[in-house]
Amino acid sequence: MLRCRSIPVALCFLLLALVPMAYAAKNDPEPIVVKDPHYGEVLFHFYKEDYFPAIVRLLAAQQQGLISEHEEQAELLLGGLYLSYGHHLEAATIFERLLADNVDQETRDRTWFFLAKIWLQRGYLDKSQEALSYLSEDLPDNLRREAQMLQSQIYINSGQYERAIALLENWKGRTEWASYAKFNLGVAMVRSGNVAGAEQILSELGELNPFNEELASLRDKANLALGYALLQDGQPFAAKEPLLRVRLEGPFSNKALLGVGWADAESENFRRALVPWMELRSRDLLDPAVQESLLAIPYALGKLDSISQAADHYLNAIEAFYEEANRIDRTIGYIESGDIFDQFLADDPLDSTGWFWRLEQLPEGPEGRYLYHLLATHEFQEGLKNYRDLHYLNNNLEQWQGSVDVFANMLETRKQAYDERLPKVEDTLARADIDAMVQRKFEFDAQLDEVEQGHDWLALANEREFEMWGEIAGLESAPALSADIPEADEVRDKVLLLKGVMQWQLERDFQDRLWRARRDVRKTGEALVEAQRSRRKIDDSMLNEPLRFEEFSNRVYGLGPKIDGMQLRVAEAMGEQRSFLESIAVGELRAQQQRLDVYTVQARFALAAIYDIAAAEGGAGE
Amino acid sequence: MVTNRLLISLIVSLLLAFSATSIAQETAAAGAEAASREKFRSLDEDVQNLKKEVLDLNRDLFLLEEELLFPANSQVAFFISLDVGEYFNLDSVNLKIDGKEVANYLYTEREADALVRGGVHRVHMANLKTGDHELIAIFTGGGPNTRDYRRGATLTFDKGIGSKYIELEITDRVKKQQPEFVIKEWE
Repeated sequence: MLRCRSIPVALCFLLLALVPMAYAAKNDPEPIVVKDPHYGEVLFHFYKEDYFPAIVRLLAAQQQGLISEHEEQAELLLGGLYLSYGHHLEAATIFERLLADNVDQETRDRTWFFLAKIWLQRGYLDKSQEALSYLSEDLPDNLRREAQMLQSQIYINSGQYERAIALLENWKGRTEWASYAKFNLGVAMVRSGNVAGAEQILSELGELNPFNEELASLRDKANLALGYALLQDGQPFAAKEPLLRVRLEGPFSNKALLGVGWADAESENFRRALVPWMELRSRDLLDPAVQESLLAIPYALGKLDSISQAADHYLNAIEAFYEEANRIDRTIGYIESGDIFDQFLADDPLDSTGWFWRLEQLPEGPEGRYLYHLLATHEFQEGLKNYRDLHYLNNNLEQWQGSVDVFANMLETRKQAYDERLPKVEDTLARADIDAMVQRKFEFDAQLDEVEQGHDWLALANEREFEMWGEIAGLESAPALSADIPEADEVRDKVLLLKGVMQWQLERDFQDRLWRARRDVRKTGEALVEAQRSRRKIDDSMLNEPLRFEEFSNRVYGLGPKIDGMQLRVAEAMGEQRSFLESIAVGELRAQQQRLDVYTVQARFALAAIYDIAAAEGGAGE
Repeated sequence: MVTNRLLISLIVSLLLAFSATSIAQETAAAGAEAASREKFRSLDEDVQNLKKEVLDLNRDLFLLEEELLFPANSQVAFFISLDVGEYFNLDSVNLKIDGKEVANYLYTEREADALVRGGVHRVHMANLKTGDHELIAIFTGGGPNTRDYRRGATLTFDKGIGSKYIELEITDRVKKQQPEFVIKEWE
């Protein structure tokens, strides 16, 4: 079949499949030689990225002993398939067992690296940390950098900022990873209270010249984080510079505009602060920065003594917050109805599963807009992935349930047909006495032996010859030929001649006829042996078929309830997973609502204060 | 009047939460985050266990289906594989057994790619009596310079008592780079 390489190469191939395609393409090792077609069939499904059917076929082929030529490779392939399918705990069990002795260091490193990455995404910080600890010193540079980044994320996620700082401070190189490392370092410093340290790091990053969208976005994030850290630290002048470096259009522009306004407001320059804030109020109210601008504008107007304009803006803000809160309420109701998650999956074909799947688009509708940022979170995406996998399992079990019913029906039909045919077969068998036939064959053998020993050439004459011989013998003994007359002599001579000719012919053909007779008897014997063999098979079938029916029945009728039980458990797990996703989504929306409530209270409070001032001024005027 | 300090602290707290999210997907409160992570992990472990059990059940069902529909003593499986240069694209394969068409399979790009990478496709399963049978296989595909190929092969094979596997390998590594069938029989 195809070119052959060793087991580790096979695993490398699997692991390369776990990295982005562009990278994988550059590193595609040679294909694997397939020595068992069933192993090739598993690879076919694996390469199609149909991991579930690939695993099922591999497990089945292993159980049937159909991939003896690929035993060790099959175990590694199974580990890789589990990994691709997102069955990371089972994959790790296999790798832990196999990686120690069977593969080279590089393959081991790659495997643990990818497990660490998956576990970090799934929030298994301890396991991710453990997997990183298995990495050797010889890790390739690109993976080493990413592994360090994983390590720093584990530290940050678990609140160990000082350790994260210590790790990231010593980062070497000028690659994209270095930029991410700087960002993480800056954030770790901000969170540990070291704003001055963070300022230097994030400033460097905020001034980099990005050569792709990813770095441009990172630059914006760094500037934004630095700007707000400085604002919070009471340095509005310093904060403005990084905030102004954020691009005007982009996911971070709203917050940057808001921050620029606050930097000016902190410097008592309310007229300048109004410029970015007025720009913000025309943007999507979903963004908290836009919501806050609705409060910031009247605040600045108030400071500029435009009291009536400020009052109008506060009233508008209260109205806008009220409507937004109502929309959020409706969205919460929709989420709690449970339909939204099925709608997420409705547009997504369920023909494959895997760890790489991500939901990129939310269903269209007013609800979707509130949940977009949830898509960026690992927790929500991984939860949704689990929900999707459970949905796949549920469909899979449903299909099998239908098939098992068909199997049961098929089995019953076969059994009925067998029961109907059995008496006829038994009757036929009873009439066919093979043993008597064998006995007759032996008798033929004995007769032929006697004919040969006695050179009984007449015994091998055919029917016509035998009749003729009888006629001649009859003539010979006819009384008329005993007469002592010349005519009788003449006929006697002719009879003797005829008899002599016939005997000569029969003797001449004797050996040939004997060989043919023995050949026919031998063939008959062979046919009888075949008949005996067939008979034994039929007897075996008659003995085993009921047992086979019973065995199949046990399996068919045993698997049905198993599927039922499994379906219940899958449905239960789906319910729990849905509740979990709901709690994340609803929690997020409640937080948005609470923020709106706070803003509304602030707006009302400010409005009341304006009315108080106006009333006081009116009273003084009177 | 609302103080700008209050507003700034509000937005800063939001932003810091946002910054952390962009790095480590944290929520604002560490305690809630840990609880949520624990909950996710517990659910994830349940899902992992279920996956394992459903996969094992699928294996049992797959074997049952195969043994029921294609008993070992009459089972014949036909496989397609490729060993071709990168310029040959497989379009379809057609199989006839004893003069009767049993499979006409059109390959998607993804499937053809899986074959090129070394996968083997089980294109047909049949139940056949012991004895001689005739297989006629035809494949079509495109070669370089928009040249289309259509090749056929005939094989008479003996079906014994056990399962039989026939692999039809399309290769252009013989006979002047023209794709051809090479037929292998596995017992």
